[in-house]
Amino acid sequence: MTDTQPHRGTGSFPWLTSVAFAALLTACGGGSSSDSSSGSAQLAAVLDTAKPAGTTAGTVTDRPATRYDAARFLTQATFGPNDYDTELVMKLGYGAWIDRQFALPATSHRAYWEAADAAIRAANPASKGANQDQVWESFWGQAANGQDQLRLRVAYALSEIFVISAVDGNVGNQPRALADWLDMLGNQGFTTYRELLESVGLHPLMGLYLSWLRNQKADQVTGRHPDQNFARESMQLFSVGVVKLNPDGTQNLSTGSAVETYGPGDVAGLANVYTGYSWACGARNTSCFLNGSSGGVADPDRYIKPMVPYAQYHSTEAKTFLGTTIPASTTADPAGDLKIAFDTLAAHPNTAPFISQQLIQRLVTSNPSPAYVRDVAAVFANNGNGVRGDLKAVVKAILTHPEARVQSNTEGKLREPVLRLSAYLRAFAHKSDTGSFKVGNTDAVATSLGQTPLRSPSVFNFYRPGYVPPGTATAAAGLVAPEMQLVNETSVSGWVNYMRDNLSSGIGQFNGTVNGVVLNRRDLQRDWSAEMALATSPVDLVKSVTDRLLYGLASDDLRGLIAGAITKITIPALNAAGTNQAAVDAAKRARVNAALLLTLASPEFLTQK
Amino acid sequence: MNILHNASRRLFLRQSAAMTAVVGSAAPLALNLAALGSAAAQSASDYRAIVCLFLYGGNDSFNMVLPTDAASWSAYTTTRTQAPDPIALLAAGTLPNTAAAAGSPARLGGILPISPLTPQGRSFALHPLLGAVQKLFDTDKRLAILPNVGPLIMPTTKAQYGLDSFPKPLRLFSHNDQQNTWQALGPEGTTRGWGGRIGDMLAASNSRALFTAITAGGNAVFLDGDVVRQYGVSTTGAVPLGLDANGRLYGSTDVGTALQRIVTSTRTSHPFDADLAAVAQRAISAEQVLRTALRAPSDPLFGTAPASGAYSAANDPKLRYLNPLTGLDTANGLAQQFQVVARLVDAGLRGASGAKRQVFFVSLGGFDTHDVQNRNQAVLMAQLAQGLKYFDTTLSGLGALDQVTTFTASDFGRTFTSNGDGTDHGWGSHHFVMGGAVKGGNLYGAFPTLGLKNASNNNFDSSADQLGNGSLLPKTSVDQLGATLANWFGITPADALTIFPNLANFPIEQRNLGFFA
Repeated sequence: MTDTQPHRGTGSFPWLTSVAFAALLTACGGGSSSDSSSGSAQLAAVLDTAKPAGTTAGTVTDRPATRYDAARFLTQATFGPNDYDTELVMKLGYGAWIDRQFALPATSHRAYWEAADAAIRAANPASKGANQDQVWESFWGQAANGQDQLRLRVAYALSEIFVISAVDGNVGNQPRALADWLDMLGNQGFTTYRELLESVGLHPLMGLYLSWLRNQKADQVTGRHPDQNFARESMQLFSVGVVKLNPDGTQNLSTGSAVETYGPGDVAGLANVYTGYSWACGARNTSCFLNGSSGGVADPDRYIKPMVPYAQYHSTEAKTFLGTTIPASTTADPAGDLKIAFDTLAAHPNTAPFISQQLIQRLVTSNPSPAYVRDVAAVFANNGNGVRGDLKAVVKAILTHPEARVQSNTEGKLREPVLRLSAYLRAFAHKSDTGSFKVGNTDAVATSLGQTPLRSPSVFNFYRPGYVPPGTATAAAGLVAPEMQLVNETSVSGWVNYMRDNLSSGIGQFNGTVNGVVLNRRDLQRDWSAEMALATSPVDLVKSVTDRLLYGLASDDLRGLIAGAITKITIPALNAAGTNQAAVDAAKRARVNAALLLTLASPEFLTQK
Repeated sequence: MNILHNASRRLFLRQSAAMTAVVGSAAPLALNLAALGSAAAQSASDYRAIVCLFLYGGNDSFNMVLPTDAASWSAYTTTRTQAPDPIALLAAGTLPNTAAAAGSPARLGGILPISPLTPQGRSFALHPLLGAVQKLFDTDKRLAILPNVGPLIMPTTKAQYGLDSFPKPLRLFSHNDQQNTWQALGPEGTTRGWGGRIGDMLAASNSRALFTAITAGGNAVFLDGDVVRQYGVSTTGAVPLGLDANGRLYGSTDVGTALQRIVTSTRTSHPFDADLAAVAQRAISAEQVLRTALRAPSDPLFGTAPASGAYSAANDPKLRYLNPLTGLDTANGLAQQFQVVARLVDAGLRGASGAKRQVFFVSLGGFDTHDVQNRNQAVLMAQLAQGLKYFDTTLSGLGALDQVTTFTASDFGRTFTSNGDGTDHGWGSHHFVMGGAVKGGNLYGAFPTLGLKNASNNNFDSSADQLGNGSLLPKTSVDQLGATLANWFGITPADALTIFPNLANFPIEQRNLGFFA
């Protein structure tokens, strides 16, 4: 990420004519400054090569009726709508936009991290180089400006299903590998579930996080048993879940009550499979297995290369799990056993609805109907060409499903804090003074987001897919609200206070001097002149702001409340000599900040509908 | 279970009215505050608090409380001495080897003997870094040990455990489900915690129901009752929502007023919006009270005033522990949570918060020691000990020792056997209960037999208390523990039966564990 280009918004959200659109793109530089081509040329090229919209099979109209519809779709499919992608969806339709996204190349987080590391070391040879902060830089830089938004958004969703966490020092101390993990999710997220599962399972960070790297076969004499961590969680969280499901994701109650998918015996059996894997290393000896080095030589890429089998540490016992039995053998076959295990998990009838439902929840709605889950799970089971777990087909089925395309007052999801900030940054593009999007760690609940990507408190993610906030209207309506698990009195205040300060001061790290220029301000800044130009017309300003953030869902009541309040901020008349220009600008800016914050704090924004 | 106690029904009606006002019509804030602060029954004249300290991840209590009689010790050292990284702690009296690897048993030195008043014919010790707990147990007699506690439907023998038909807690060994079961007596999806249910029955004692159940350790189902909702406080106290001390936002009181109106009301019929508005309402209401009700964290009662500049909990020496891996004094997040709880207790004692019965929740995470257990658990034990000591000392300073009882809870215990450098998910585990009202220095409940594994497999036919891989079959249920705390809190035995659904399955004389004076 070398992004240093500003992304200026235009004044009010321009519900543009197509004629005006090319001009807009020229002005705002396209969706991402990592594109070298100018915006207008780029869009023209896209439109030339795009397939006609609306021709693929589907039960929804493929072309959004309004830009509001397009922006709502992009709230589900990206880190937030901006002008560029909104217009592109209008032009291409949903299906072709998705297909185009599938074809866009990924930008490597690891390459960003490595370049940042090299630059830091070059500037200061005594430095320890890059750390987790550079992972967040890459994450936020791409979230804000990456072209391949769908890949990035799906990767983020997957990071909350296949969880590792930098809160764990074993993971957190390997920031380069953390960046590689994000790359892996982005790349494998558009392959098949089976391929993804293998890449997730064999990544050394998963090996470390769920402690199956260097897991050893049992010692029958002493009683040492294989570590069961990955065995249990790979079933409970990454594939089949704890109870048997119907194809529509509802619990299978055919015996009268919920049936547990596996028991302690299955965990023990699978734990035996997950033995004998450890570091990529020059040899397959004990030193490599336990320490990742042999003769004092370690593979510098051992934290990113898939773990490798060490037969001498792999169990030869019979292994039974989920109805599959691998018979006892005289020769250890770790790779063969692992293939059977992953094949079993991928083929289990629970996996299609279990994973499909969670992906729907991460992208579209907390409470999909059984029919919605069933339809997506059917695509998971077979993409139409006999392929199981085709994740591109699954994502497309999720986003183009009729239920995703219709707004209602029970569907939708709470925006988690990371996605609130990303939506803001996409709608109101900021420039990074350093070019590095130094948003930083956002863990603090009372003063920040209370959530940092890849820093979940445990493998159970920041929140559980079935979370019901007790004693609430949500509970009374029989709904779940996973992201509500992050909501409490401190976090609701923290969000408002964090954005209050972000609006007035910019976002992220405070920079003194950058490239010889004294700045003394936070890293992410925005030129608010277009919004300030509307400040003397509160109704227009509020319409502009709420259109960008709420795509038509702001009621007259909400807009009236906001406009009424900001009108009370008095803008002094500019005197003849112009000596009170600063006071005039400050008042206009206060109106802009207030209009933004009142929108960002509203339940209308916090619930993605 | 949907029985609404009379007191909690009154509360429910009162709160429902308040919430309708809040959510439905965006009533002025002052009206809502009045509703929440309406006069209530004064059935409790004194002040009492229960504090749940949840050890997230499943604490390996085999290395926290250790039986040291010859047979137990032999089974322990044999079972836990496994390559590549033995997790057997060393015998009492072993001097720390400063040349040994950080966190290793040799570096930590021997376990710390304790002398229970009724030792059950055995001898016991604590993890080497629990010196503060040793003193609380042996000298101060303000800490008791509850051996082998876990969720149970009814008393269960090993033979019964083996029967598919015998009632057992659902989803044993699963983190989220057993956390939920400890807190709410059912697996994930059970949404009423027993701390909140206790609150339901006693919230009428509080002139502000809002402060009945408070978490400083993250959202926890433990604190949500039929009516009572938990209030999430920051370790720094209540956080203002957007406005400065004069009610202004971006310099404008009008904008400040609009913010409060927008966040506490809804303009849609989406239930998520209503719930968000209700949380925001509570945040604002609570902060308005607590901004004056709480004394400063830098007050010598709770912390250390900085020589200059603003107070920082992270830098307060009272809230720091010695990290056994780095050898450095380090900020203790658990102590920070205890600090705000102590400030809230103080406010309750002084009548400043209107609370006379409060249930608190604090937490410490990282106990899922599948690997690198020696190092990881050492850090956690050091934090635990410093946190408990800080809280005990601070309560002593407030004169509140007898009025606050703290107990530990955790997902589950772990396997007795080792996987080479750690342990896996188990069931029963040992726990602490601390406070001036506690008859400390003793064990409440039979300490389990620790045996040797079978020659041919990892079952433990040598112990009636141990299952596969040596996990403990609990002898004392969470229901019994909770009912004992509830009784002390003022809940009648009859009401306890409505809160704890399995309590009736235990003999009447065992429904109170007897650890209160």
